[in-house]
Amino acid sequence: MRHTIATDTLGPRGPALTAPIDACVHCGFCLPSCPTYVTLGEEMDSPRGRILLMKEVLEGTLELDSALPYLDNCLGCQACETACPSGVHYGELITGFRAHVEPVRRRPAAARLQRRLLLETLPFPRRFALAARLGRPARALAERLPSPLAAMLALIPDRLPPAAPLPARMPAQGPRRARVALLAGCAQQVLDPDINWAALRVLAANGIETVIPPGQACCGALAMHTGASERARPLARANLAAFPTDVDAIITTAAGCGSGMREYGLLLAGEPDAEAGAALAERVCDVATFLDRVGLIAPPPLPEPITVAYHDACHLAHAQRERTAPRRLLGAIDGLTLVEPAEWELCCGSAGTYNVEHPELARRLGARKAANLRATGAELIVTANIGCLTQIGLHLREAGVEMALLHTVQVLDRAYAHALKGAPPR
Amino acid sequence: MIATVDSVAAVQEAVLVSDRLLPVGAQTKPALSAVTDPGTVRLDCAGLSGISAYDPAELTLTAAAGTPIVELADALAAHGQYLPFDPPLAAAGATLAGTVAAGLSGAGAQRYGGLRDFIIGVEFVDGRGRHVHGGGRVVKNAAGFDLPKLMVGSLGRLGVIVAVSLKVFPRARAHRTLAATFASPAAALDTIGVLNRGPLALEALDLTSEGRLLVRLGGDDGTLTALTERAEATIGTACERIDGPEEAAMWAASAALTALRGNGDRASENPSDSDAPSGDLIRIPLTPPQLPPLSTALTAAGARHRFSRGASVAWAHWPADRTLTELSDRLADLGLGGQRLWGRPGPPLLGTVPGGPFADRVRAALDPDHRFPEL
Amino acid sequence: MEIIAALGELGLGERLLTTPAALAAFSCDGLTAFTARPCAAVLAESTAEVVATVRACHATGTPFVARGSGTSLSGGSLPVAGGVLIALNRLNRVLSIDPESRTAVLEPGVINLDVSRAAAAHGLAYAPDPSSQSVCSIGGNLAFNSGGAHCLRHGMTANHILGMTVVLPDGELTTLGGPSREGLGPDWTGMFCGSEGLFGIAVEVTVSLIPIAEATATFLAAYDSLSAAGDAVSAIVAAGLLPVAMEIMDALAIEAAEASVKPRYPPAAALLIVELEGDRDTVAADTTALEALIAVSGAVSVTHTADPEERALIWKGRKSAFSAVGWLAPDYIVQDGVVPRTQLGRALAEVEALSAAAGIRVANVFHAGDGNLHPLILFDGAEAGALERAEQLAADILSMCVRLGGSITGEHGVGVEKRAHLPLMFSPDDLTLMGEIRRSVDPGELANRGKMLVPMAEGTAA
Ligand SMILES: Cc1cc2nc3c(=O)[nH]c(=O)nc-3n(C[C@H](O)[C@H](O)[C@H](O)COP(=O)(O)OP(=O)(O)OC[C@H]3O[C@@H](n4cnc5c(N)ncnc54)[C@H](O)[C@@H]3O)c2cc1C
Ligand code: SF4
Ligand code: SF4
Repeated sequence: MRHTIATDTLGPRGPALTAPIDACVHCGFCLPSCPTYVTLGEEMDSPRGRILLMKEVLEGTLELDSALPYLDNCLGCQACETACPSGVHYGELITGFRAHVEPVRRRPAAARLQRRLLLETLPFPRRFALAARLGRPARALAERLPSPLAAMLALIPDRLPPAAPLPARMPAQGPRRARVALLAGCAQQVLDPDINWAALRVLAANGIETVIPPGQACCGALAMHTGASERARPLARANLAAFPTDVDAIITTAAGCGSGMREYGLLLAGEPDAEAGAALAERVCDVATFLDRVGLIAPPPLPEPITVAYHDACHLAHAQRERTAPRRLLGAIDGLTLVEPAEWELCCGSAGTYNVEHPELARRLGARKAANLRATGAELIVTANIGCLTQIGLHLREAGVEMALLHTVQVLDRAYAHALKGAPPR
Repeated sequence: MIATVDSVAAVQEAVLVSDRLLPVGAQTKPALSAVTDPGTVRLDCAGLSGISAYDPAELTLTAAAGTPIVELADALAAHGQYLPFDPPLAAAGATLAGTVAAGLSGAGAQRYGGLRDFIIGVEFVDGRGRHVHGGGRVVKNAAGFDLPKLMVGSLGRLGVIVAVSLKVFPRARAHRTLAATFASPAAALDTIGVLNRGPLALEALDLTSEGRLLVRLGGDDGTLTALTERAEATIGTACERIDGPEEAAMWAASAALTALRGNGDRASENPSDSDAPSGDLIRIPLTPPQLPPLSTALTAAGARHRFSRGASVAWAHWPADRTLTELSDRLADLGLGGQRLWGRPGPPLLGTVPGGPFADRVRAALDPDHRFPEL
Repeated sequence: MEIIAALGELGLGERLLTTPAALAAFSCDGLTAFTARPCAAVLAESTAEVVATVRACHATGTPFVARGSGTSLSGGSLPVAGGVLIALNRLNRVLSIDPESRTAVLEPGVINLDVSRAAAAHGLAYAPDPSSQSVCSIGGNLAFNSGGAHCLRHGMTANHILGMTVVLPDGELTTLGGPSREGLGPDWTGMFCGSEGLFGIAVEVTVSLIPIAEATATFLAAYDSLSAAGDAVSAIVAAGLLPVAMEIMDALAIEAAEASVKPRYPPAAALLIVELEGDRDTVAADTTALEALIAVSGAVSVTHTADPEERALIWKGRKSAFSAVGWLAPDYIVQDGVVPRTQLGRALAEVEALSAAAGIRVANVFHAGDGNLHPLILFDGAEAGALERAEQLAADILSMCVRLGGSITGEHGVGVEKRAHLPLMFSPDDLTLMGEIRRSVDPGELANRGKMLVPMAEGTAA
């Protein structure tokens, strides 16, 4: 698409902003996979529409404030990238645009507070755990609380599972086939520490040694995707310092973290450590991708057959283009039948802090996703991201459905331990 | 009064000098070429004749208005091609423009579609005497309004067609017809439904008022055997196989509408003979679910009929002892409309007839001075 | 503004859009070289709302443009600056399917592909398949008489539309056609199809459905020149075969597809895709015949497959080709001229010569069976004068098509883009009559003003 934006005035992220606008031919092929377009049915809430809005804002023919509500509605799920035949890197555009306008955008006081609370709590496991443990009684007061606080409370789970701290190293069982470093992550480690433990055990069972480097931080994705690059950069730098270079891969178990770390190059563009960031990003790999690459040692056959629906987490399927590895891993379990839900490409509405910032839209998407998953008739739902697990669990419960939910590595872990069946409903 | 024209300029001239006129071809459908107002000039366009372009590799053909359908069919047959909409009354002398204006497709339209699906271009003289054209000579064309389609079924009341371009297709090399008898037309409906939705592309799917289902297959000698077996399995009932000249003659008779003429005993080869058919021949578009009530109504009135194109249309002979008003009311009751091809004086369209503000406004532009009769 | 006040009375709430951002999002369709901002956009959710909106426009003399999915490639759904844009994408319900009659009744915003999805349960499908079928709407298809890869056998959109309810440009509601495959009286339905929105807005559409084909075989034949592939098409037709689709892509188009959806096409100067469809015995017989024909047509290689996934990938490559040229150049104009099938070889040579003379790259991907070219003229809009040069090349290609006996558009419509070229095909009398018909239906020229025909408001009558 033609435009009159002067790329060189946009600083180091200029090309990332204008290349997608150049490449977009406005064909609309992205519309049916965009969760906001599908739910809201209006052009300005479509990928194609948003590209047009960003273009006009950058060209100076449209007021930023007029465009922001629609740009804020974007989940950043990148389903539009998967659908786009023209190779538009929408994710880079929206992330770059958000960062570009953050310094000049005005937010109402309440939104400012909510944003600050989220950005200062979620990425820090100890703060989040504290809020989760001590904040729970405040839920009784939710109705009377200012909405930003109420939104925070909504994120707090009913109970927190006990968390055994992760070891510094988990040795491989049998001959070592690879050595990796694990990103422990933040919210997931609080909400469901079993996922990382399961990953460690599965990796070990496959002859992979894992180190969990001390000093690592949150991946920074949350901040990065909401325009707060200044908050994301220190986190990225902490990880640059913490992660060793002599491992075969840096493993993530939450799809959102994986895709976030893979954007370090862009996040640090124009900074002295840009190259180091890009190099680290190259080595980041989702646990499913890595296991598939190394070659899974097939778990023992299941005592009873089970039907599993795999839900594609946006940040794995769209942002990391990984749909086959998890299916191949699950398919390797003898006795497990994999079924495909309708509308796989549609986001469940979790998307980072989306369910806090856009509760109504998130609710509609969550309910839709839950209905699609339920319609598969599967006994167990499997996905690769803590946000999805929480969101889908919530909406299944709301629909009065008891379906078990697990992370891919938890399924493998249980299969190795002869314990896959009757997973507790979330 | 009849005026004969043999050039487009003559048509233009005739339009400009006549207060009221109606173009006619070979008059094989007299109810459509009859006029009620004696002052109306009937413009005989049979003299505008001849194929002006036909290249078999293009699968397209252009011919003047009065060209007999038989002439087209012969030219096409020489290259293994045909008019897939299978125009009726060709043997009686029907012309190209007459067929287009009457909007007539035959039983063979079951396979690829009707006339509207094969017309790609038209030239006509409008109510202001202008020689205009719409569409083109290529199979695909989205430029300008689709005037060619508008001329389909225009009954000579929207302009004088002077030339038509058509899309044509290769014709099946061999045919066979399977005949099976059902207790009533309604009893055959399920089978028609299954065949309509089934995998076999049928050349024709007709049903007579006696409940005889006629399934025409087309292919080459190799595929015909397989098609026969599959069709027979679908029909279920014992089937008679009809082949060769007998088969061809049977469909030719159907295209000539022989069985629906007069009272059977007075069948005439030339329906334009004023004394030939007694009663009216009417074409009634419908959908399969409308077949049972229509069949009942026609049978009750003693009207012989035939369903065609997989129960998309009925052709019926309305007996002379029943009034046209009764027919019109019956059709309207069933939410149907019909078009008369021949019979007593009266309007060409009966029952629920199309029209409305869009039709009125387009017509006002094409014929602002009301030179052509009302629809 | 008077019209905004009038629309404000309709109780549309948040579905009456007037903010700059909302209006900017609607400012263009798939032809991005043209943009205009409407004064308001209405997201209609019922026929009554469409009627009320059109009435308000009529009462205030405001031009309006209907929009389905906004994928028109000729500026069909480009708004009139200061006019009203009526978005129909929310009117997307399949109202009913009647398997006995093989028909479906649809709201205009239903996505083309969703019709086949809904009909599949009955073993039926909706035949017209524009490459944009996963996005474009039935209303847009109807207004543009859209085609697709498979219209060689099955015909265009208008051949599958049996009836409709329309809102005329003064807000009057009327019905055209009906549920039967057989027509009665003048084909008003056919006339409304392809009228590019100039006659008003279709709010309910009855379409015919076809049985899902029992067997399909898709051939991929590689040739070392475009004209060899074009000649093969003529040979196939001359042999009396009637495939459902015959498509050609040239090397540049193949390159774009490979960059995009990776259909794993064989490397070739020209690729011919032929698809056979029908009952299993006929397809088997035709497969043998076609294989033999292609083998003697000078093909470098030929393969065929009946595997659904392989076929889907072949078609995905073909159907993504327009958008995929985004990989090759920042901007493109796609032309849609038609030539007689036997002139394909010559037309392609002329396109090549024109492209070379202009120094502009042209990728070719087209419906060869119909003689429907789709030269994709690649340029970089940031370069001064590039758009104008590309437009000139496009105009030269269209003149060539008409000179060879064809048309300026096979399926994308005239829109704003090819309006100036209409006189290449039609005489002044033809155009005058079309203008008169238009004004008889819509004296104020409110419906999609400026598309297809030059409005009186712009001076020269047409
Ligand atoms: C990548 C790509 C590939 C394409 N491939 C093909 C192809 O293979 N074949 C083809 O024919 N086209 C193709 N097109 C063009 C386009 O998709 C078609 O013209 C399509 O029919 C437009 O549908 P839409 O819903 O997007 O309509 P819009 O663009 O929204 O509207 C098109 C026109 O229809 C009018 N309109 C819309 N709805 C109605 C209604 N309900 N009543 C009256 N008027 C209405 C509008 O005013 C406008 O004039 C392609 C486009 C793209 C971007
Ligand atoms: S699919 Fe890609 S090129 Fe097409 S509109 Fe969407 S982002 Fe633009
Ligand atoms: S990232 Fe997701 S929500 Fe945002 S425009 Fe793309 S598809 Fe829509």
